[in-house]
Amino acid sequence: MKNRSAIYLDVIGIIGAVLAALVIGIIIIFCVSNEPISAIHAFLVEPLTNAFTLGSVLNRMVPLVFTGLAIVVVFQSGVFSMGAEGQLYIGALTGALAAVYIPGLSPWLHIPLVILCSIVGGGLFGMLPGLLKAYFKADEIVSTLMFNFIAVLFVSYLLNNVFKDASSGGFARTPYIQDSAKLFQIIPGFPTHYGFIIALLAVAVVYLLLYKTRTGYELRLVGKNPLFAQYGGIKTKKVIVLSITISGALAGLGGAVEVMGVHGALKDNFSAGLGFDGIIVSLLARNHPVAVIITAFFYAYLQIGGQTMQANSDVPRDLAIIIQAILVVFVSSQAIFNYLKQRKASRTGGASIAK
Amino acid sequence: MYDLLEMRNIHKVYPNGTKANKGVSFSVRKGEIHALVGENGAGKSTLMKILFGLEAPTEGDIYYNGEKIVLKSPKDAIKYEIGMVHQHFMLVPSFTVAQNIVLGSEPRKGALSSLADHKRAIAETDKLIQEFGLQVDPQAKVEHISVGLKQRVEILKVLYRGARLIILDEPTAVLTPQETVELFQSLRKLVNQGYTIIFITHKLNEVMEISDRITVLRAGKTISTLDTAATSKEEISRLMVGRDVLLRVEKGPAKPKETVLSVRKLSDFTETGKAILKDVSFELRAGEILGIAGVEGNGQTELINAITGFSKTYEGSVHFLNEALSGKTIKEIRDIGIGHIPEDRQTKGACLTSSVKENLILDLYQDKQFRRGPFLNQRKIRTHAKRLIEQFDIRTTSEDTLAGSLSGGNIQKIVVAREVSKSPKLLIAAQPTRGVDIGSIEFIHKEIVKKRDEGTAVLLVSAELTEVMSLSDRIGVLYNGELVAVLENSEDLTEEEIGFYMLGVKKGEKKAVTS
Repeated sequence: MKNRSAIYLDVIGIIGAVLAALVIGIIIIFCVSNEPISAIHAFLVEPLTNAFTLGSVLNRMVPLVFTGLAIVVVFQSGVFSMGAEGQLYIGALTGALAAVYIPGLSPWLHIPLVILCSIVGGGLFGMLPGLLKAYFKADEIVSTLMFNFIAVLFVSYLLNNVFKDASSGGFARTPYIQDSAKLFQIIPGFPTHYGFIIALLAVAVVYLLLYKTRTGYELRLVGKNPLFAQYGGIKTKKVIVLSITISGALAGLGGAVEVMGVHGALKDNFSAGLGFDGIIVSLLARNHPVAVIITAFFYAYLQIGGQTMQANSDVPRDLAIIIQAILVVFVSSQAIFNYLKQRKASRTGGASIAK
Repeated sequence: MYDLLEMRNIHKVYPNGTKANKGVSFSVRKGEIHALVGENGAGKSTLMKILFGLEAPTEGDIYYNGEKIVLKSPKDAIKYEIGMVHQHFMLVPSFTVAQNIVLGSEPRKGALSSLADHKRAIAETDKLIQEFGLQVDPQAKVEHISVGLKQRVEILKVLYRGARLIILDEPTAVLTPQETVELFQSLRKLVNQGYTIIFITHKLNEVMEISDRITVLRAGKTISTLDTAATSKEEISRLMVGRDVLLRVEKGPAKPKETVLSVRKLSDFTETGKAILKDVSFELRAGEILGIAGVEGNGQTELINAITGFSKTYEGSVHFLNEALSGKTIKEIRDIGIGHIPEDRQTKGACLTSSVKENLILDLYQDKQFRRGPFLNQRKIRTHAKRLIEQFDIRTTSEDTLAGSLSGGNIQKIVVAREVSKSPKLLIAAQPTRGVDIGSIEFIHKEIVKKRDEGTAVLLVSAELTEVMSLSDRIGVLYNGELVAVLENSEDLTEEEIGFYMLGVKKGEKKAVTS
């Protein structure tokens, strides 16, 4: 009874936040631009009107789905990991090594192998702060943030010193990956690559895992009420480690898919905050794996829109970042939702008393 | 006497849609003790929150001394000399009694100074104590004084703020019988000095003893206001639940069989090394109910934690059917046939943000019958939940409803349903009916007795003395971590006697350890 109307209000609240952020963005455009109409057109309409930009939006969406899912899993189990960024790099590294240095495999073997390597790499790296939290009570927010530095700088070191492609012309990157490990365009000519399909599959897997399996029941229960889970005999420490390991695997897979589908090599600083964007994507989705598809799309749309606007008008793409920041403020202010719920309850007189 | 306060046609709808008050009318005369009774979820607390300015009514008016008033916050309520003593104490443990009493309106050293004047605070507290005869040491730290004294501090706090109308929310819930008697004496004194008291409770004995008039709420509506002298416990309970209820638990004599639980020389210590359980030994047999009475905080929680596997630091031994429990995990202990109704259903016994269904399968989600390949068998889980909802009369719109949107009594029924339906050989019931309405209490008591008759050994731990006395076959009393007595429950055993053990006045006579 209550669940459905609560979801409805959540959705209304989020759409309201999105619209308000967009309106503020448009006001800013009017303030700073000499050609506001064409800027707005480039920002909001263009990404959707031509196949190239739409395909780019979908491509940009792919890593956001992975990091968004990574955050969904940990947030639902009450672990506040900020480590998706680092996990993404480590997964991209292990995946890229398999993609670059194992020659002569068929794509049917090579791509799954790369995926597996990235999952293992990201997962194991995610597991470390999980173990520290579960067995040494290290605060996961702090430790995962620190682990991000370790991962990003470690990968950077390797790219500059160990795996650097001699023919890269000064860029810190690995040699290009084998053709057998490349994710090609789904429809030739339309930019979106097969990583998009993998991302959708990941959404399905995470949804089933969280809501339909015993492990998911444990994960969510530990997130909602750890004492109750413990009382029921669930080993909460193992669940915490498992949740952040799964999260790491998802983020790591996202990193490898970027390498296979977009960059064709592991490049230094290729992510630039995809792991942190995942937090916003997950918050906008109210930590629901299926809603991540929508919020990741929207987030990618804003970013691509920012780029087309920068290219076609006098407004810099930083405007998109402003809108993102406003969104974060809105969405994280729970108070708005509570207010909406209260108003609805007092207007309709509410449901019958649950006695 | 005239109506000091009148609340007319109060409606309150909470944001989640719960209608807590549906047209309550309630009036209090100056200088009376007015009992406000009703089952849990009847709307008592909401009504009082409105009166104290903590909640705004959706509809309805409040009149004070014949004048319409609007209470936007407790500050407004205090302005109209209305004060409230909450069920859960709101005191700063590390402050002294005097500091707690003056907190927020401290006397200052001079008009412009921002420094609190401790001497004057103590002097003013002393004056209050003398005036009302509520004895307590103003310089004692609150963390060191007993629950009964803490409550006095709460009352003094309200008096210090100038309240003339005092709301007491279930004040006796945490008190021993002796402390209750003292509280009632203080309340009488206050009334004699012209104060007015609203007394919220669901203990009918107390209602009859202390109140002048009684207002009964049921399902968010006023059912009736009665003169205490002209009514009876039976009538009030009928009005409260809308039907006749058994106040005594009907049960036959126990037929104890083999020993199920054997606790030997159990001791446990706090992190600082203070003993909280001292050499506790007892045996519990199949088909009997052993009640553990005692003021809360005398080792009950630690005893339960040791048996259920939450604590592993204890000394001594706990055996279940000749098997030591010390090396087992919580899961293993649950799986060998020990059911556990925990003392706190809000945090431990249930997950309020999960659905009823998910709360009911806590033990069973790993069971083969609820699997379908790698997935949970949703259909079976649903059928299982539906069966328990019906069998245990859990009032919920569906098995998918969030547990937290049900009333306390129904949440507790979820816990009881889950723990009892697994047919445990040992059932540990800690505060099984705390904060639960009379209808549910009756139901839960019957379930516990039914389990006993089916051969379950029941360990009942309750701060509610009448509950222990009406359910148990034997009664043990925990005082200061010691099991100071284990008594056969017979007609001759009185509440007063157990009260003496609970307060450490009497000791010894461990005559019937094995019954």
